Amino acid sequence: MMKRKIITSSFFLCMFVATSLAQEVDSLLNKVKDKAKEKLQISGTMGVTYEGYGLSRSPSGWTGYQPRRPWNQVRFDFKPTFNFSKNFSLPVNFNFAALPTNFAGPYAGISKPTFGQFITNPMNNFGLNPKYKWAELQLGTQYLNYSNLSTGDIGVFGIGFDLRPKDFLFKFFTGVSQQGIDFAAGPPSVTGAYKRKNWMAQIGTEKDGQYKFTLNFAKGKDEPASAAPPPVTVRPQEGIVISLVSDIYLEKGFYFKAEGAQSTFTKDVATPLTSSIRSLKPFIEAHTSTSTDYAAQASVGKKSQKFDIGVMVKYLGAGFQTVGYPFLQSDRLDYTLNTKINAWKNRMNIVASIGQRVNNVNNTALKAKQFIGNLNWFTQFNDKFGLNVNYNNFGFQAASGLNPFGIKNVSNDLGINPTFSFTGKKIIHILSMSYNYSKYDERDVITGLTTSNNTHTALVTYVPTYLENDISPDFSILYFYNDVPGAKITLATLSTALSMNAAKKKLKLRGQLQYTLGKLNSFSNSNNLVASCNVDLKIGKNLTWSTFLTTNYFKYGDEIVPNGASYVETTSRTGFQYRFDTKKQK
Amino acid sequence: MMKILFAAIAMFISVTGTAQLVSTLVVNAQPPAQLSEWGERREVLTLIVRGAGAIAGPFKVKTEIKTLDGTVIATSDLARTPVFTPNTTGTTILVANDVMPLEFMTFTGKYQKSLQRTGKLPADNYTLCTQPVNPVDYRIQGEQQCKNFYLATTQLPILMKPYNEEVLDGKKAQTAIIFRWSPVVPTQTSPVTYRLQVFEVLAYQNPVQAVRSNQPVLDKEILAATQFIWQPQLSFAPRESESEKLPTFVWTIQSLDKTGLPITQTDGSGEARSEPIIFFVNPDKTKKPKKEN
Repeated sequence: MMKRKIITSSFFLCMFVATSLAQEVDSLLNKVKDKAKEKLQISGTMGVTYEGYGLSRSPSGWTGYQPRRPWNQVRFDFKPTFNFSKNFSLPVNFNFAALPTNFAGPYAGISKPTFGQFITNPMNNFGLNPKYKWAELQLGTQYLNYSNLSTGDIGVFGIGFDLRPKDFLFKFFTGVSQQGIDFAAGPPSVTGAYKRKNWMAQIGTEKDGQYKFTLNFAKGKDEPASAAPPPVTVRPQEGIVISLVSDIYLEKGFYFKAEGAQSTFTKDVATPLTSSIRSLKPFIEAHTSTSTDYAAQASVGKKSQKFDIGVMVKYLGAGFQTVGYPFLQSDRLDYTLNTKINAWKNRMNIVASIGQRVNNVNNTALKAKQFIGNLNWFTQFNDKFGLNVNYNNFGFQAASGLNPFGIKNVSNDLGINPTFSFTGKKIIHILSMSYNYSKYDERDVITGLTTSNNTHTALVTYVPTYLENDISPDFSILYFYNDVPGAKITLATLSTALSMNAAKKKLKLRGQLQYTLGKLNSFSNSNNLVASCNVDLKIGKNLTWSTFLTTNYFKYGDEIVPNGASYVETTSRTGFQYRFDTKKQK
Repeated sequence: MMKILFAAIAMFISVTGTAQLVSTLVVNAQPPAQLSEWGERREVLTLIVRGAGAIAGPFKVKTEIKTLDGTVIATSDLARTPVFTPNTTGTTILVANDVMPLEFMTFTGKYQKSLQRTGKLPADNYTLCTQPVNPVDYRIQGEQQCKNFYLATTQLPILMKPYNEEVLDGKKAQTAIIFRWSPVVPTQTSPVTYRLQVFEVLAYQNPVQAVRSNQPVLDKEILAATQFIWQPQLSFAPRESESEKLPTFVWTIQSLDKTGLPITQTDGSGEARSEPIIFFVNPDKTKKPKKEN
């Protein structure tokens, strides 16, 4: 309770400070303009937002529905770019939250972070990128995407540079992507993590729209002594990847892109050193848990206004692993053919892709294949009638292994969506209908029997658009039916929304109401009501106050115990945003 | 007197040096495919060695891995493997790191290549044989014990629906979103629990950052099924009307064994979490907002 009061007080204090600060900044900027007449230009935003969440469950003591947002959270955002001259700029990227809410990854479960853990927590960014001509200094949190096979997903807190003299590229960055976090059995349990240091570098040459050739290097290394007690499910690791990128763009929209990479990754640095596996000294020394494998991807195609076509092939060896993409699933070969067609004076758009994913390229696993096919075909026949058709297919098959039958799962989706519009003198009526059929077949690996899971969804939406009025309502009705052996789910939803401007367009309002009636087999109905509203108020030329409120009431039928259990959850979000907008002074 | 003493010592060494050892080998029928992981998990391999009616002396363990047709694909280098001295109770318990130290194992041909590239052997049935031998001249000191096991890498689920970067109709998504994924391969001996998590990607975040930072708006454990129908009970109104960025979500599956632990701990993130993919919700199909982050 005390904590909540402190957070709430802090928020209002912050809002007050933010408002005052915004005025101060305005005032300060005016002085700067008047007195110094320097060539300073500031763009970007800053703001502070409070989020509150509430959950009330009935009967008391029932825990069948868990909270899904932090009870209180304050987020700060400071992202101005200072342009001091034509050649010198300073982009700032500070956004951070008051309370950690990590559920997955190394920071999961942490509640009282140290300062080091706070600044390297992936929920916070503290980045400065001063840039002079072709030289950029990178300080603090940086998410650097060097290439698709080296590094790109992980934020690193550290220091580095990005130099681009003429057509050359020289990049280097080093820092910490995660701090050591002690394991705690709990409650609350903390997964724990080892401190990981990262290094990355890139050299190459690039000319926009013509070519790019780069050599990339990325390394990460855990410190085994950085967590005590150490994590239970994670071992200290070390890995490097070296990749070569070559992209070529030719005339008439033809392009060719390719990347080849080799990774050497040690899954547990506590395992003994070995000479039977090749080391890559001085970067990495082989342990018995080290593997060295390869990956490559290439795409070739043609892009134009009316027609795109491309082929993409991606291979990831079973032992390929990089610290720059921690969730990458290796041991696969993907190949897809993609096309996009704009025809009939852009009134017809077709987007399609077909391909296959093969797992177990290195034969260390059971062979598994996934067929992928997507089609989206939209046609605007005339001013009054448009039709969209889409079809998706995903098929997955794997060998039987020790079971009598192999895995075979096939998902098919077909959607048809006609839209009618009628224009009157003061109103445009838009009527959109949609039907979707989804079929999911799954084979039992013991009996060989296939069960079908069928889903039908029908939706009708009516949107009247007033030509002389700022009011925009919409109405919709939806029917959803899912049928699988042993369970039949029916959902029916009525929803309406209204948006409008007021106070000389300084105030934007939007409200939404949605009611869903649900039924599972022969159990009694469940009921769900969701109501929400957005209020955006423009306080000054550059200052906006945005508020979002929503409440969700759900009451079960007798499909769960206790019968008739219910919950109400509320989410509120309010915050100020200031937009920097100084005109360049001459 | 001294002669008698030397004779007694020589007799003792002779008896203990030639004493037969009785061993019992226990191997998990479906151990982890990553061989280096065997050492961390005591339940994978246990070798119990005890003397047969005499005081046992020091010994080494000769280890072989064979295919089912008897071809030897790996042997321990006895010159380098450790020497074990039976403890005072007469029974010695050894685990994978003792019996099959990878740094002292020599693999042949394609198996060596596979191990170097992937840390695993090709998916197949194998036999592991152990035999206690004299540490000096490698004379056999007990019967060979063999056990079969099956190796296949655990493949985590591949996320199927919503597919990567799919744009869902907000009016449909507010009632129900269907999630589908492929099952863990090979089929496990006990049912897998799939932990489905959906995270909202905030304006300043990239998808993986959202996974590693945010509280999930859906966190559901599903036992042995590969589909889930989610009633989001969310309002999908665009949060930032000026930027018109579509509400963006990232979803992933964590595969857990019957004890609630990640089903594989050495691949990828160590959390048995499938590669996350994103989907967008378009609350207003009459507009064409940007979907990029």
